[in-house]
Amino acid sequence: MSFQLDPQAMDTGDGAPQVNIREHQGNSTNIDFILRNTDLALANSLRRVILAEVPTIAIDLVEVEENTTVLADEFICHRLGLIPLNSKGVDDLFYSRDCDCENYCDACSVVLTLHARCTGIDVMTVYARDLVVSGNPLNDSLGQPVITDPAGQGSIICKLKKGHELKMKCVAKKGIAKEHAKWAPTAAVGFEYDPNNALRHLDYWYEVDPEKEWPVSENADLEDKPVEGDPFNYDAVPSRFYFNIESAGGLEPDVIMQQGIKVLQRKLADVLQELDERTTDGADGFGGVREPEVMDGYGQEPGYTTPWQGNQSQWGNQGSMSAYGGGAQTPHGATPYGHAY
Amino acid sequence: MAPPKTDTKWSVEFDNVRRDKLFKHPPRDSTAYPSLAAAVDPHIHSFNAIIEKNGLLEHALRDIGTKVFLDGDPNAKPEGRPRRNRLSVRVTQVFLDKSQLPPTNKHNNSDRRIWPAECRERHVTYRGRLRVRMEYKVNNGDWRELVRELGQIPLMLRGNPGGYFIVNGIEKIIRMLVVGRRNYAMAIIRPSFVNRGSSYTKYGVQVRSVRPDQTSQTNVLHYLTDGNVTFRFSWRKNEYLVPVMMIMKALVETNDREIFEGLVGPAGSKGLQEKQFVTDRVELLLRTYKAYNIHGRAKTRAYLGSKFRIVLGVPEDMNDEDVGTEFLRKIVLPHLGNSSVTENQDADKFKMLLFMTRKLYALVEGECAADNIDAVSNQEILLGGSLYGMIIKERIEEWMNSIRLAASDWCSSNNWATFDSEKFNTDFIPKILRKTNENIGQALEYFMSTGNLVSPSGLDLQQTSGYTVVAEKINFYRFISHFRMVHRGSFFAELKTTTVRKLLPESWGFLCPVHTPDGSPSRRQQCISGFTGRQRGSATRWEDPRLLLPKQAKVIGDTLRYWKVEGTHNVPRELEIGYIPNSNGGQYPGVYMFSQAARMYRPVKYLPLDKEDFVGPLEQPFMSIACTEPEVESGESTHVEYDPTNILSIVANQTPFSDFNQSPRNMYQCQMGKQSMGTPGTALRYRTDNKTYRLQTGQTPVVRPPLHNEYGLDNYPNGMNAIVAVISYTGYDMDDAMILNKSAHERGFGHGTIYKTKKIDLNENGRSARGARSINKLFGFAPGGLIRAQWRDKLDEDGLPHCDLGRVEKAFINQDGETSFIRYKDSEQAFVEEVRIIGSETGNEPCQTLSIKLRIPRSPVIGDKFSSRHGQKGVMSQKWPTADMPFSESGIVPDVIINPHAFPSRMTIGMFVESLAGKAGALHGLAQDSTPFRFSEQHTAVDFFGHQLRKAGYNYYGNEPMYSGITGQELHADIYIGVVYYQRLRHMVNDKYQVRTTGPNNALTGQPIKGRKKGGGIRVGEMERDALLAHGTAFLLQDRLMNCSDYARAWLCRGCGAFLGTTPTVNEYGRGRKGTGVTRCRRCAKRAQGWEPKSEVWEDGSGIRWVGGEDVTVVAVPGVLRFLDVELAAMGVKMRFKVEP
Repeated sequence: MSFQLDPQAMDTGDGAPQVNIREHQGNSTNIDFILRNTDLALANSLRRVILAEVPTIAIDLVEVEENTTVLADEFICHRLGLIPLNSKGVDDLFYSRDCDCENYCDACSVVLTLHARCTGIDVMTVYARDLVVSGNPLNDSLGQPVITDPAGQGSIICKLKKGHELKMKCVAKKGIAKEHAKWAPTAAVGFEYDPNNALRHLDYWYEVDPEKEWPVSENADLEDKPVEGDPFNYDAVPSRFYFNIESAGGLEPDVIMQQGIKVLQRKLADVLQELDERTTDGADGFGGVREPEVMDGYGQEPGYTTPWQGNQSQWGNQGSMSAYGGGAQTPHGATPYGHAY
Repeated sequence: MAPPKTDTKWSVEFDNVRRDKLFKHPPRDSTAYPSLAAAVDPHIHSFNAIIEKNGLLEHALRDIGTKVFLDGDPNAKPEGRPRRNRLSVRVTQVFLDKSQLPPTNKHNNSDRRIWPAECRERHVTYRGRLRVRMEYKVNNGDWRELVRELGQIPLMLRGNPGGYFIVNGIEKIIRMLVVGRRNYAMAIIRPSFVNRGSSYTKYGVQVRSVRPDQTSQTNVLHYLTDGNVTFRFSWRKNEYLVPVMMIMKALVETNDREIFEGLVGPAGSKGLQEKQFVTDRVELLLRTYKAYNIHGRAKTRAYLGSKFRIVLGVPEDMNDEDVGTEFLRKIVLPHLGNSSVTENQDADKFKMLLFMTRKLYALVEGECAADNIDAVSNQEILLGGSLYGMIIKERIEEWMNSIRLAASDWCSSNNWATFDSEKFNTDFIPKILRKTNENIGQALEYFMSTGNLVSPSGLDLQQTSGYTVVAEKINFYRFISHFRMVHRGSFFAELKTTTVRKLLPESWGFLCPVHTPDGSPSRRQQCISGFTGRQRGSATRWEDPRLLLPKQAKVIGDTLRYWKVEGTHNVPRELEIGYIPNSNGGQYPGVYMFSQAARMYRPVKYLPLDKEDFVGPLEQPFMSIACTEPEVESGESTHVEYDPTNILSIVANQTPFSDFNQSPRNMYQCQMGKQSMGTPGTALRYRTDNKTYRLQTGQTPVVRPPLHNEYGLDNYPNGMNAIVAVISYTGYDMDDAMILNKSAHERGFGHGTIYKTKKIDLNENGRSARGARSINKLFGFAPGGLIRAQWRDKLDEDGLPHCDLGRVEKAFINQDGETSFIRYKDSEQAFVEEVRIIGSETGNEPCQTLSIKLRIPRSPVIGDKFSSRHGQKGVMSQKWPTADMPFSESGIVPDVIINPHAFPSRMTIGMFVESLAGKAGALHGLAQDSTPFRFSEQHTAVDFFGHQLRKAGYNYYGNEPMYSGITGQELHADIYIGVVYYQRLRHMVNDKYQVRTTGPNNALTGQPIKGRKKGGGIRVGEMERDALLAHGTAFLLQDRLMNCSDYARAWLCRGCGAFLGTTPTVNEYGRGRKGTGVTRCRRCAKRAQGWEPKSEVWEDGSGIRWVGGEDVTVVAVPGVLRFLDVELAAMGVKMRFKVEP
């Protein structure tokens, strides 16, 4: 731990959401912080957004020029997609679908090339470091494969034997983890509140002795332990959330969190905008939120006749009347929901 | 310096580096997985036994002996014709070559060998030439020698693991079959014996006597109501009955007293008085035989010979006594002497017959119990190689016999030429031998590819089909268990009784109690326990069984065992010493020793010497083998098991903590392990299976027994370690469904591939083309013809598909120069993985065959089936976004969510323990030993793994507080979460879904056809109909049963209420007699008299004019109703319908 502080001391008490960062090293993949003075919904929203909606880039499109390895194209492509790429400055990148270009361009993608051919007798291993960024990416680090191992090789892509060749053009695009897990910025998001179970959200199950069987969270010391015999506060709600964000390598963990807040803000802004009368009324051409309306051809039919042969019922009578009469009437002259003469 | 010996010791550890090295540099000295090699050993050794020195075929040739044929007209009167010449034929040696190119192939001279891999890829048979050295002589001339080629027979592979054949590119194995124990007289009570004839009873003693070449001859003694005994045998599928006395007297020069004393005991010995029952019957036995009035051995043999001369097919000039001798040699207890039988051997046979008779009387008297033919102690295994050898033997003999016909044909068509003529010399090979069917190879290939046994003798077996199965390589478990499977025989499949299916205590340690299919094939097909070996025959010859004096029996048995384990006194180590003590009405006592092949035996520790002993199933019930060391009782136990898990099969041993599970769950896992998508092999590139499955993201299980490594199963991963939470979340995990984490899926969880190989043969009629003339189709585009650009998208210049393209077409031209296509018709997109162009073996034919391997990627979709290793299968019902999944404080999100309701009724506690062990193993980086029977009440699994979890900072019992992913609120209960190894099963919705809106209908009834392939519907059957009726959803019922089925509008006459009377009217005056669109009822109409107004008259199709019948209407009915009406009308039954209003 780089520094230890008493979170209580930092509390300015003004009721605004606060963040206490507990541990963050320069090159670390983790940040550990306490989110305070917020309610559960906001804290969880942040967690969900970080997990699913912070954009990163990942290889999305692969043009296979040569693949004589033992692995099938889609197998290798799947592996390529999961290689974490440096997503620094991904915010400035367009989503490919929003870009003006026809297919992909430097404004919405980073092109990486992979070319490996084994000529020796030994098995050759292709690593993530062999992916070379080509073209003019927005910044120097964008799209570089993330390499954290001491040997500087990155993840293994494939192994080649003599004569095997792998030549691919990989297009990395911006995306979010909601669409595919390869765009996930985090490996996991730790999330905890009420380590002493003062709110009794959880009913600990134990065989003999809960003290022995259940581990105590390290965050438990930071909160008051409920004293036996004290009256239980039914109105208490969680307000301190212990986060731990672990980056997959593409973005720094603090950036992930900031981006998460940004995405959340943007989403809220979208909602506000949609709800605003001035903006919704025809401004976007969709007429805003509206009730489901009756559509042509459907909805009028209450559903008691079969659509068999158009207007004609299955009893063969010509004309608009079915054998039992038309419309919503059952043979008994009543709808199934009561007598509606 | 020689490389160090390959280490074959394995532990439970992951051993990644070692495995990687072994994979890259396969050891040359020995396999690194000897247990795996041992698993297929019985197959390989039994095959090797066929051809090896002093092997099955050498014995077989000795048994076949010399065939003698006579020339001359067989119908001519004996006095007029000249002395007939004898042609003697014998086979002295059999050669089996390695697989080689045929000599007609002149293209490759450097290496003419054919390897199995090539056969797989070319869809041909891995086979080698079978040749025999044959000798013949005429009369007493010199033997003349020649070598004949008898075709190419399929060869067994030895590789690692081998033990199977390749027939037409498909891997086939000969199933191991359960047969009765050889050379052991079994007392049988079978009610059907009564049907043999009048006065026959249900009592019998049966012995399956096996010759050294592994062919067998069953001899049965029947007890008759009057005390008499008959000897029954079957020869060439016919049954014969002979009085046992006749056979005894034919075997040795004997007298009634000797037989009497042999059956009852020496005259004057004590206890004779009590044996009144036996003495009475023996007396009768001896007396009734007097009626035959045959005295002396020679006369008896001659009598037998005269009766069986035709049946045995002996040379015509053989005298009756010799025929009788031949009869005794071939049929009576041939295991005691079947070639050049000595006097001593005949005496042995005589003694054994006495023994059998004695046992039969004991059975009738109730002194001994009947032996249970369904018990393993009275069974042995018919090995693939033995059966194969039997077939070869029989085929060779049949071929030699067929020379008789060819030779007599030659005689008659050459004006009764004689064998000593010069013409015979020149004609023997081209005119006689060539006429015979020498292609034994073809017969064996047929046997291997169909599993059907075509045999004139039936080979003393009870079934004619189902001997071979495809060694499917769905995954490695499936493949390896084919070699360990024993089959009870299809004869027992139809048996209604459940006695054959019972798991008897005798099978302890020999047949796995877990690994058997459930349902109808239950316990007909079982797996041999992991370390059960089978013996190939031993050096020392023991005459078995032998009878010993009861008092000394135990001492002798114990001494022999001591010597045997010690390895002294020339007692073979694999000898089975079945000491059956005296009992009150139990199994017939004695010391029975077995040393021959095809027995099951297993290793246990012999306590007096602390050494390995082999135990067989006959001796085991009468031994005291402690299950574990603490259970050893001094003075009582003689042996102790090496490991209690030795009773389990290879696959059953892989179920972790199986001792915690309810037993049927372990059976289910044995089935499901074999149908999971795994890794079928490592050289997939060179395989052309019809359909094979491959898991892309296989892992080694964290929780596994050491046997996992010992069998090298890490080379063939079969599933994935998944984080599993046991929680009812969202409701999508109800009823054995499971929720999969969407991100886990996207990262590759359960991704797999199907490979399908399609063989395309232009030569449809199957006959190989003789030269370019008879070929009328070739691959490629028609030369000079139009080649469309759209074709070239998918196809190369040569007309064959590119590799790695979806949706392919295959093209060829025919002789007319027109391009036509062979299309890929499946609805699912496939990629072309490989295209093989297959030439002919002879090397002089143009390419007519292609083999195209298609690859279908199958990532898991909703509806695919998964299972843990505890018989807990489930269907993936939803891919749930990670953010919505429950998560733990550390941010762990489960890969799989299963419902807690899966546990209470199924009681798969092993899965809980696995989850616990997996979690602890993952946290500490350990491979966890999951061998069953390792924990006890004092030392429980929960405590063991709980401590590890507690050390890692987790809850002792594996629970964790979890938060709802949707609200972020802590769930009220803590959740059981851990690591469980999951298998993806090969049952996938993509192969099963069935959908129909409209589609083909049956021509006769108008109802939708059935069948998924044809786009048919799913039947709303009677029970479904009942449900709809009961529910009151009449409209839905009408929709299903009529509107969506055979809805028809039919004309019906209101007046007479008949469908069939209505007929369309025809325009009277219009040209071409067009229909008017008006329908009338002909039944109700009257013939027009001519004076009716024109507007009322109508004409039917045959030009008859009618009036009336106008009261018709159209009704909607099911189409089959009219069909029914027509059918009933054909029987003279009329149907009337009332139409209202």
